[in-house]
Amino acid sequence: MTAHHRATASDAIAILLAKHGLELARHLRRLVRDDDVAADLLQDTFLKAHGALGGLRPGSNERAWLYRIATNAALNHLRSRTREAAALARHARDADVAAPAWLDADGAGGGPHETDPRHAAVWARVAGLPERQKVALTLRVSGQCDYGEIARRMGGTEAAARANVHQAIKRLRKEFR
Amino acid sequence: MMARETDDERAERRLVHRAFERLTGRDGAPLQYALMDDTPVGVLGLAAGPAGLRRLEYVEGEDDFLRHLLAEFPDRPLERSAALDAVRRELDRYFAGRRFTFDTRVDLSDVTPFQQRVLRETAKVPAGKVTTYTEVATRAGRPHAARAAGNALHDNPIAIIVPCHRVLRGDGSLGGYAGGLPAKEWLLKHEGALLI
Repeated sequence: MTAHHRATASDAIAILLAKHGLELARHLRRLVRDDDVAADLLQDTFLKAHGALGGLRPGSNERAWLYRIATNAALNHLRSRTREAAALARHARDADVAAPAWLDADGAGGGPHETDPRHAAVWARVAGLPERQKVALTLRVSGQCDYGEIARRMGGTEAAARANVHQAIKRLRKEFR
Repeated sequence: MMARETDDERAERRLVHRAFERLTGRDGAPLQYALMDDTPVGVLGLAAGPAGLRRLEYVEGEDDFLRHLLAEFPDRPLERSAALDAVRRELDRYFAGRRFTFDTRVDLSDVTPFQQRVLRETAKVPAGKVTTYTEVATRAGRPHAARAAGNALHDNPIAIIVPCHRVLRGDGSLGGYAGGLPAKEWLLKHEGALLI
């Protein structure tokens, strides 16, 4: 094997970046609305993807796989940034769905503390939601977006954004009953 | 060569260039690339910088082409780009037989001065005509360098648009071709230069 043909680690990342970089940069900028954050998340996404390249089965969809990694990175960022549980409770009320009692625990003054086990429990459930519900709910709760804004970031209509958030809350509510 | 870009597109490109620099150390000016997947002569890879088209080559696929570009341009980020759509349209017209000339600007700065002269002389041969390695070598100023001219043509970075397929051996046989002889034959027939 000559140097010319040897694919170095950085070449593998460069190939992924060349093929999918622009599209994922657009996706991340829409989700987080901050260029510096999006730049960090983009780099994290490709580093993580490269580390996991061996796990990508040949013929599976590389692009969809990168989208998933990027979306999760963005959602993790959004929710670590805010007091999710309290916001989730507020938006559960906005959505006209009765929130489980514990979500209301501390009212508008702030949700369960970060160390509260319920904090992790909610987001563990959120992670299991269908992709679009998960993204819509996180933008609503952690990103503090109105439905028009969610529609713009995700691509789609305001009605669809609203429906996704409502479905997500309904489902969480059922699981925590 | 770039179509006018929006603020969002500029910001997206900046993010990707930062990622290239941080993750791969590539901090030069980006090179734009595109592929044409189903031409009559196979898959073609195109790459361009600000001064024009630098590569038009026969490739196996996108990853193969990218590996090649990464090796040849060690400090350049690569970006898949719609900026090459104009060249692709010219090639579509060529393959459809509607037009056999190209307005695309080519950048031959990667090859030696002799190679450049050979390629510029080759570019003067119109579709439907052919010439020989000796003839091209002579016009490039080295009448005894037919073999060197052949090598220069084999290493032509911009196939089809710089029509190295129009150069044959003195005895009328096809000679060689980087895209394979069937491709050379197809192009010549398509241009009406070979009667069978």
